Amino acid sequence: MESTRAITEVILQEAKKSAEHIIKEAQKSAEETLEKQRQLGVQRANESVRLLLKKAESEAELNKLNSIANAMIKANWVILSKKETWIDNVLNEAKNELKILTQSKEYVPILEKLIIEAGIILGGKELEVLLNEKDSALSLRLDKLAKEISEKTGFKTKLRLSEEKPKVVGGAIVRTANGKVIMDNTFEDILKRREKDIRFKITKILFK
Amino acid sequence: MLEAFKAIKEKHLEAKKIIDEATLGAERIKQEAVQRGSSVYEEAYGAALSQAEQKANEIKRKTAKEAERDLEKLLSQAEDQAKEIEAKAEKNFQKAVDAVLNMILH
Repeated sequence: MESTRAITEVILQEAKKSAEHIIKEAQKSAEETLEKQRQLGVQRANESVRLLLKKAESEAELNKLNSIANAMIKANWVILSKKETWIDNVLNEAKNELKILTQSKEYVPILEKLIIEAGIILGGKELEVLLNEKDSALSLRLDKLAKEISEKTGFKTKLRLSEEKPKVVGGAIVRTANGKVIMDNTFEDILKRREKDIRFKITKILFK
Repeated sequence: MLEAFKAIKEKHLEAKKIIDEATLGAERIKQEAVQRGSSVYEEAYGAALSQAEQKANEIKRKTAKEAERDLEKLLSQAEDQAKEIEAKAEKNFQKAVDAVLNMILH
């Protein structure tokens, strides 16, 4: 009877041990399954993560470059407009000084020179000189000027002061007697004609 | 003797029941693991992506700060350049005016 009880005890103990082992193995297998799924999730996410980070990097870099480029454009624009303002200031000052010059004794020979230049360009002959109100009152030696034009062009030249008085700062407009060809040598027109060269020259001197 | 066999047989049956129950339990554990597997997969996938999103935001923040520093530098350079222009222009102003007059009058 004792030995029977010992045998049945052994049978039950063995069964319990086996049951424990079966459960432990199942738990181990379950953990492995879950770990595999977790790793699979991470692995599958890796490609998306790589793309996400790459996109973030390029977007960030692009934003950086954009803001720097915009700032550079703005800074350059500020500097350019500052330069433009200074160039305009020089031109305005030059215009003021030209106005002052027209009231000085140095002006008459300059005006005569401008008339001669215009007369030569027109090729001499019968020419009409247009001066502003104030310059029309100056005592210009038109005969002497006509003689110089004749010498340069080889054509006998006559200069006549026009009744027409343009509203200009200084200088002269010379035209042929029939009014078909005009040479504008007023300060305003010279400035306009040579503006590109003048601005270039100012830039070279001003910011050296 | 017969009593002994009977007792052993009973214990055998009891043992079999224990093992059968354990096997059933094991099967249930495995099944549950398979069922939970997809959510573990999703969680791991989501966690990795969320971590990456945080990293992406960090990259953007860092680059934005770099850009800010570069912009400050650029602005300061532009200010220096503007001051330099002012100084040169003030110094050369009359010379430039004279050059204009010279171009018009001569």
